[in-house]
Amino acid sequence: MRVEYINPFVESAFNVMKEVLQSEVKRGELYLKSTSMPVMGVAAIVGLAGGVEGRVLFDMDRPTALKIASAMNGEELTTMDDLVKATITELANMITAQAVTKLHELGFRFDLTPPAIFTGDNMEVSNQDVEALIVPMDTVHGKVEINVAIRERA
Amino acid sequence: MKTKEDFPSINERKPDGLSPEGTPYRILVVDDSMFVAKQITQILTSEGYDVVGQAADGLLGLERYKELYPNVDLVTMDITMPNMDGLTALQKIIDFDKNAKVIMISALGKQDLVKQALLAGAKNYIVKPLDRKKVLERIAHVLSK
Repeated sequence: MRVEYINPFVESAFNVMKEVLQSEVKRGELYLKSTSMPVMGVAAIVGLAGGVEGRVLFDMDRPTALKIASAMNGEELTTMDDLVKATITELANMITAQAVTKLHELGFRFDLTPPAIFTGDNMEVSNQDVEALIVPMDTVHGKVEINVAIRERA
Repeated sequence: MKTKEDFPSINERKPDGLSPEGTPYRILVVDDSMFVAKQITQILTSEGYDVVGQAADGLLGLERYKELYPNVDLVTMDITMPNMDGLTALQKIIDFDKNAKVIMISALGKQDLVKQALLAGAKNYIVKPLDRKKVLERIAHVLSK
C-alpha cells in the first residue's frame, strides 16, 4: 500500500476526533497487518471506490463507543441503540470524507460509500490480497483503531 | 445601589431564527444520519428556528419540499444519501422552485463537488464536522438575502 494514502487518514482522524470530542487525542504507532485480525466489538466501515479501491474500518469496544457517542451528543447514552450507531457511523464518515477530500487535492480520484456499522462479539476481519495498515488513536474515552486497506485498481 | 447597567442584558439580541416580522423561519432538514439530523435540529431550534420537516434521503426530501411549499424558507441538504443523492435532490428542488434556498451540508469538501453544488443553485456549502457558530452564521446570511 502506498504511504501517501495513509497520512491523510491519520491527520483527519486526529483533527476530527479532537474537534468533536473536545479533548486531547494521542496517535499510536502505525502497524501493518496482512492476515485476519480481531474486531473489538463495534466496527464502522466506509468503502472507497474509484481510481483506488478499499475500505476503512473504525474499530472500538462497546464502552468506548458509548462514551464517544455520549460526548458527541452532549448527553449520556448507555445502550447501543440507533442513535449511538448513527453517531459512530457519522464519526467514521466525517474522518473518511475529510481524508478523501485531502487525497482528492493530491490528485487521487475516488469516492466513498455510505458507511455501515457492525456490532457483535468474537468478530474478525480478513483482507484478501490487500494488506491493512492500522492507525491506533487514544482518546480520553478509550482506544479507536483505524484499519485502512487500499489498493490501486488492477 | 445597583443600577440597571449592572445586569448584563441577555435578551436584547433577536434570535437568528426569527424573521423581521417576528415569525420563525421554517427549515426542512434532509439527512440520512439520525445523529446529524438531530444535531442540526438542536442547533436551529436553540436559535428560534422552526424545523418543519425532516427527510432521510433526497427523494423524501424533494417530496417533503413540494408538500411544504410555499411554507418553507430554507433546506439543509446532505449529499451522500441512499435512493437519491443530495445533488440530484437540489437540482430537482430548484427545477420546482427556482428561488429555493438550499444549503449543502456534507463531510466531503472536494472542490469540484462544492462548485457543482453552487452551480446547481445551492446558496452555501458547509463542511462537517458542524460547528454551531458556523451553521448559524451561514444560515442567517442566506436568509438575509
